[in-house]
Amino acid sequence: MAQKEATVYILDLGRSMGEKRNGRSQTNLEWALEYVWDKITTTVATGRKTAMMGVVGYRTDETDVMGAIDDDDGYSNTRIIVPLKQLLLPDIRDLQPQLKPSATNQGDVLSALAVAIQMIDTATTGKTGKPLKYDRRINIITDGYGHMETSDSDAIAAKLKEDEVEMNILGVDFDDAEFGFKEEDKDPEKEQNETTLKDFARKCNGNFATIAEAISQLEIPRTKNTHPVPSYKGTLTLGDSENYDTTLTIDVERYPCTMIAKPPTASSFVVRTDLSGGAGASTQSSATVAGDEHRGDGQLAAVKSQRVYQIDNLDEPGTKTNVEMEDLERGFEYGRTAVHISESDANVVKLETSPCLDLIGFVPEEKFERYLPMSRTNYVVPQRTNTAAALALSSLIHALYESGCYALARLVTRENKAPLLVLLVPRIEPDLECLVDVELPFAEDMRRYKFPPLDKHLTVSGKVITEHRDLPNTQLMQAMNEYVDAMDLSSFDRDDEGEPTEYMKFEDTYSPLLHRINHIIRWRATHPTSPSLPAPPQILTKYSAPPPSLLDRASPQLAALKAAADVKKVPPKQQGRGKRTLRDREKPLSGLDVDALLGNPKRVKIDSTNLIPSFKQALAATDDLEAIQTAAADMARNIREYISTSVGESGYGRALEAIRVMREEITELEEPEIYNSFVRDLKRDLLEGRLRGDRREMWWKIRGSKYGLVERKTCFASEVSEEEAAEFYRSA
Amino acid sequence: MADLAHDNRPGDDEGEEEEVDDASYKTIKDAVLFAIDVSPSMLQRPPPSDDKKADRDSPTSAALKCAYQLMQQRIISNPTDMMGILLFGTEKTHLADGDNTFPHCYLLSDLDVPSANDVKQLRSLVENEEEAAALLRPADEPTSIAAVLFCAIQIFTTKAPNFSSRRLFLVTDNDNPAKIKQDKDTAITRARDLYDLGCTIDLFPISRPGHGFDRSKFYDDLVYPSSPSDPDAPASLPSATKVAKSGDGISLLQQLISSINSKATPRRALFSLPFEIGPGLRIGVKGFIIIKRQEHVKSCYVWVGGEKVQIVASSTSHLADDTARVVEKTELRKAYKFGGDTITFTPEEFTQIRQCFGDPVIRIIGFKPISSLPIWANTGKATFIYPSESDYVGSTRVFSALQQKLINSKKMAVAWFIARRNAAPVITAIIPGEEKYDEDGEQIMPPGLWLIPLPFVDDIRQCPEQADNIKTTEELTDIMRKVIEQLQLPKGVYNPSKYPNPDLQWFYRILQAMALEEEVPEKADDKTIPKYKQIDKRTRGYLAQFGQEFDEEHKRQTRGKLKSSAAPPKKRAATSSAPIEDSKPSKRIKTEPQANGNGGGMTDEDMAALSDRGNISKQSVGALKEFLKARKQPVAGKKIELIERVQQYLESKGL
Repeated sequence: MAQKEATVYILDLGRSMGEKRNGRSQTNLEWALEYVWDKITTTVATGRKTAMMGVVGYRTDETDVMGAIDDDDGYSNTRIIVPLKQLLLPDIRDLQPQLKPSATNQGDVLSALAVAIQMIDTATTGKTGKPLKYDRRINIITDGYGHMETSDSDAIAAKLKEDEVEMNILGVDFDDAEFGFKEEDKDPEKEQNETTLKDFARKCNGNFATIAEAISQLEIPRTKNTHPVPSYKGTLTLGDSENYDTTLTIDVERYPCTMIAKPPTASSFVVRTDLSGGAGASTQSSATVAGDEHRGDGQLAAVKSQRVYQIDNLDEPGTKTNVEMEDLERGFEYGRTAVHISESDANVVKLETSPCLDLIGFVPEEKFERYLPMSRTNYVVPQRTNTAAALALSSLIHALYESGCYALARLVTRENKAPLLVLLVPRIEPDLECLVDVELPFAEDMRRYKFPPLDKHLTVSGKVITEHRDLPNTQLMQAMNEYVDAMDLSSFDRDDEGEPTEYMKFEDTYSPLLHRINHIIRWRATHPTSPSLPAPPQILTKYSAPPPSLLDRASPQLAALKAAADVKKVPPKQQGRGKRTLRDREKPLSGLDVDALLGNPKRVKIDSTNLIPSFKQALAATDDLEAIQTAAADMARNIREYISTSVGESGYGRALEAIRVMREEITELEEPEIYNSFVRDLKRDLLEGRLRGDRREMWWKIRGSKYGLVERKTCFASEVSEEEAAEFYRSA
Repeated sequence: MADLAHDNRPGDDEGEEEEVDDASYKTIKDAVLFAIDVSPSMLQRPPPSDDKKADRDSPTSAALKCAYQLMQQRIISNPTDMMGILLFGTEKTHLADGDNTFPHCYLLSDLDVPSANDVKQLRSLVENEEEAAALLRPADEPTSIAAVLFCAIQIFTTKAPNFSSRRLFLVTDNDNPAKIKQDKDTAITRARDLYDLGCTIDLFPISRPGHGFDRSKFYDDLVYPSSPSDPDAPASLPSATKVAKSGDGISLLQQLISSINSKATPRRALFSLPFEIGPGLRIGVKGFIIIKRQEHVKSCYVWVGGEKVQIVASSTSHLADDTARVVEKTELRKAYKFGGDTITFTPEEFTQIRQCFGDPVIRIIGFKPISSLPIWANTGKATFIYPSESDYVGSTRVFSALQQKLINSKKMAVAWFIARRNAAPVITAIIPGEEKYDEDGEQIMPPGLWLIPLPFVDDIRQCPEQADNIKTTEELTDIMRKVIEQLQLPKGVYNPSKYPNPDLQWFYRILQAMALEEEVPEKADDKTIPKYKQIDKRTRGYLAQFGQEFDEEHKRQTRGKLKSSAAPPKKRAATSSAPIEDSKPSKRIKTEPQANGNGGGMTDEDMAALSDRGNISKQSVGALKEFLKARKQPVAGKKIELIERVQQYLESKGL
């Protein structure tokens, strides 16, 4: 868990901060605030009550120290804008308009600093007068202009040191040899101030830097350190210590090693109706909110879920009956049979286990298939401060390592938890010695799919062929060989000493979506009305393509590979209608032409006992529009028949299947209007109850399956726009 | 269809995004209809034999046993999928609703999600010979295969409409059931109807002694190479399903089970993506989930208000929290919680945020030795990819060249991978998978490439620091190595098929027993429990030797340290149990984990010291509560509140 924090930002709001310098398009303040906002919003995003922040402005037009200091003499042009507290989104919204350059250059940074120290002091001192455990921090952001009264500076520095306040001074266009910046023709006053501040920072063990450096580092995502929580504390054993004399038992603990860091998830809300103009507006609100500029200002109401429970009505098949919660108990489905398990029997389906990590056997690492592990990993380390465990585990780790073996073990993390099979892998690094466990699949977890071999080709009769268009020839093998070797990354990067090192190490890659979402949420907090979103930071997309310089080097090999590969993209057209017009229907294994067998009939009648096949065959047999229309009309009649004779929902599935096939086939023939007019009529009849009874449920099924109008995007011959198609689903 | 629904709702699966790959498997529904031939030759039992492995089953009864096994297995692995069993060639005719259109077709269990009753009925047929003999009586005249196919069409259209996968498993030993051309033509037409309906025929041929099964005589005109419901999947191997025959050492039943198992789950591609080997060089691949944790069904509500216990379906509607009015799904807005309020974006912006990293692709960034892929860096299961020619002609040969090169050079590719629109981009290793066969030449591992997701820096956790600098010695390591040598797994290989999931098996055994109202078994068969006897036999000597060596070494290494160590020696003795137990089970007293152990007895001074060192947050919630409770302080609230309360307490004591 993170330490409590108290951070005060001291912002220079003097007139000079409104100037644009050194060719920048932003004012000094706007530029510097990029850094400040990023820092503040990052802290707000943690949602921690114990991370307090405050903002003090100096060289402000007004003076207001909010009584933080009894005697506000000498604190003119210093203003506490936000006292120390947990900042929330509304605070950010309030703060934003207040951070504007003032009309004055009067005001002293050291006065502001004294105010800040006092603020921290007040907020972090316990009732007994003792300082509480806090991380104290003051960040000064200034352009270095204005008069400084330095007589108290030593006392202030001493106080900062005594209170263990971390002091950061960031300056606009401050000289920084390490970062490599020097401002030409620097104003003498600024130069003097820079020296003073640098000296001051040194005296209180603080940091002093040019703000360009801080801003350039904003792009580098911050990674979160999570406190390790053990998922198992128990023994690692070899043998059964209950029943045998000589067994090995080591006290161990298990901690996460990899754990996918998930981006924050969005929750569901609904627009408050009382704010958007009465309940009547709610149905149209989807359109209005999309363009709404006032985001996240308490206009959204939380959403609750309400559940309704239903069972099949056995007296009237195809219908459902609502049931009351009190008649419900826990159970399981065995196939379609409900098995009731009363509360007292709840444990009967659970396998009785006790916590353990039992060694089963060992496998040589070269015989282990790397694709088998199926989970994230965990460290297995000796119990803290247990020297015997440390020594015993160390010998096991080293023995595994030296013999090149992994261990297979049975893991039960808690009583009556399902046993897992884990692989234990030794890991030895300069300052780390542990086992790493990863879950392995059980028999049921492997799907037995078969695929044809890749290095030979089998004919239908089972003959083996080694030369085939699906097999690489020697030229392609050679080209692939050279390309793969040319694109090697294992020594492509350079380390700090300029030595070759691995490119794209784990520690260089940042989770793109995680940081993108975090970044955009923070950005939105301070840019609520901006019409377009910023692009993702470059550091997140760095590894989305091969490094250009390596590609340059490997271009001859790539060209050779392309030539040898001779890959051709299949034109999109051929997939759809082309196939149909060629009458190139799928043939059985023997290659028999079934249509020829039937004498290539020109007209196929729709057979309602064989509806879908006969419909498909009718369409395949003809190119004549009239024949297509007749087939579609027959199909439509059958669909309506299914629905109107359906007892409850019994016929809906068949109707739905027929609708799907009709939609697909007609779309493929590029006659979408035939389907569209059918589905329009069907919808009307369903909703108006013209198909013998209340058939609204059928409409919901069509809607849910998205079997509505065929739109232009799907079929260019359609006159239905995307909006019209969407509206078709919506309107009742 | 599942895909269609997907594309139409961009950004809708926000948040549930990671689940999608598994969910899409659930949305596809599969219906399997077993059609089993009942003819005099199918009912013929093999001659009796002394060989234990020899066949005892007639082909028909082997097929029924197979169906019985598959039914039980599918209740576990595909609980929402349907299955039915149709016998043909029987003297009796029986179809649902007393339909007699199809003579000599006997619908043993109708196509549906199996019920406990179906399992019971099938089992009694498999186990009760008299009952079986009464039913399995062949008709005088042969049944027309066309009628069987048409019967299947009717069953599929009425019972499993709009299923994404419908398969007819045909078990027969008759390779030429149509004697005259007209019969054959009708059968071919019906097979085509079945194909047009979107159903597949999977043929499980059985050869008789002295009579092989020649597919080309008849069935090659009926069976289609690709599945209409699954154009994504690569064409199946023509020889994938072997002709099962009896008297081969391996029983007919086992051969059938093995063939049918490989088809137990319909294969369906998880994604179809361009695979960019280099700029301007793309091929097509499809992704498949081959390894996936099989979980048991979640508990559900059942209705106990009537005579019969019934499964309850629930539906959810949304209510606005402020006015309690019902909210349509289209009205819902997604927003992020931030600083006590919400930050929201328009649906278009949500789409932009998720899709700003480009289109779905697998793009190779470069290559590394396979040793750059340590096991500790695993973050999840691997995905199998296999080439597809449907978008790029020539994909297979390029893919094959890459796979062979990676095998030969022990290299892997690293790639940027976006599985589908809205999916989070990941960096993945691509390693080659070699084709593997079992003793019978059956493929047990397909050839292809595996995508193994790699961790980002954000996903890697630090290992808790080890306080003691205690290291093994060469002697100890050497003894331990001998132990390792003694306990190698058979053939040195981890073979998943040897380890059924004990929890899953137990769950379904109990559930089945309860569903069928049978005796509940007492003891589970757990293959994951180590073979203790063997371990003892093989390692006893080495472990004893290790024990002696260990005690001396431990003393030597901890001698100076105990005094200088911060922790009092007394406690150390309590927590360090001797790892080697030389005496008969003096049942070890469970040592409490450290944090809990000293929590209750912690004095104010201890806690204050912890607090001053900044270590108070490392205490467990339990320890904090215990501390507070002992001092009559409230123990409610989050950890941070507990810590604050402890600190306030300490302050009040002036500590």
